[in-house]
Amino acid sequence: MTESQVIRQAADGNDRAIRTLYERYAPRVFAVVRRIAGDDELAQDYAQEAWIRAIRALPSFRGDARFSTWLHRIAVNSALQALRKTENRRKREAPFPAEVPVGPRSGDTLLQRRLEQAMDGLPDGMRQVLILHDVEGYTHEDIGDALGISAGTSKSQLFKARAKMREMLTALDGATNEGGVEAWST
Amino acid sequence: MEHLTRESLARLVDENPDAHEARHLRTCIVCTSELEALRAQTQALAALPEIRPPLGDWEVLEARLRSEGLVESPGLLERLSLAHTPPWMRTAAAIALFLGGTGVGAAFTSQTQPSADPTAFVGQTAMFTDATDVDAAAAALQVAEENYINAVSQYRQFLAQSGGDDYQGDPRGRFAALEYLVAASQAAVRQAPADPFLNGLLASTLAEREATLRRISSSQDNWF
Repeated sequence: MTESQVIRQAADGNDRAIRTLYERYAPRVFAVVRRIAGDDELAQDYAQEAWIRAIRALPSFRGDARFSTWLHRIAVNSALQALRKTENRRKREAPFPAEVPVGPRSGDTLLQRRLEQAMDGLPDGMRQVLILHDVEGYTHEDIGDALGISAGTSKSQLFKARAKMREMLTALDGATNEGGVEAWST
Repeated sequence: MEHLTRESLARLVDENPDAHEARHLRTCIVCTSELEALRAQTQALAALPEIRPPLGDWEVLEARLRSEGLVESPGLLERLSLAHTPPWMRTAAAIALFLGGTGVGAAFTSQTQPSADPTAFVGQTAMFTDATDVDAAAAALQVAEENYINAVSQYRQFLAQSGGDDYQGDPRGRFAALEYLVAASQAAVRQAPADPFLNGLLASTLAEREATLRRISSSQDNWF
């Protein structure tokens, strides 16, 4: 069965077709939402919300863009909106936290874990721009649309975020090297 | 020599340096290596892998999709993952579910409702054994599932009427009945391994059987 057939069936509420789409794209959706949320528990809620929105919007999917791109946009927008609504969001302006609870996932290398950890330690605005630009490949114009900021602000936030990431990773490397492990070796 | 700021270097990952920056980079090994590190960091971010959602995520999502009416309710055969199986296999599944469910149902009916009409089960068994086509097998399977659920419900009723966890009667009878229920649950789960409802039933039945076994074991210890 082709993807467009699966999408059509999913739009009609066929649970097998929806499950097929979920199994194919859930890791991609969860990854972007997890990084935007910066928190495992919030990420699960946000990802669920993104899927509900996507399934609800499926009948309007016309195939102008690739399904993965369309779904990804929904996931990003949904996570960003949910994040804005989250009232008891923990403050992210603090310096790099001693330990960010990022659970080990299969296939993670030490470098990947450190990157995820450092991203979780960034302030919300910087983190969102960094994820959308450097991880997800959005342009500054797209980021501006998604976050309601100008392309110039997106650029300046990105450069700050990269610099802060570098600072945090250097600090982490220093701490790790004291224990005899080379962080960038994997 | 004044070095370039980290933010300026972060910009140079994407953009060309101006004349002053270019001149500085030609002579400053510190800034050059810092720029290389920022480039490596950016490349590593772009190569971050996808992340698998936590276990059970689909089940939670599916329940939400159903509660919001975004998916059609699956038929019984779909739910038991039997829609695309040959009729004989559906029939086998029906036997497992039906006999297990009816057996336990009958066992507890005889304890809690002595006046229940046993011919009802005979009639249902006949309905099943006469099933020679897919529709009849499906109908029998539906009866089987109802019996199965009924067996669970009667077992719970039995527990409630006999004092639940404080039940002081002979735990061996209860254990034997739970063995039936476990067999029926396992048969159902084998047919539909991903079904959260059936898995939940199996887990709770196993837990109750385990608790009963512990009770038997501790009563034997007391006797000695």
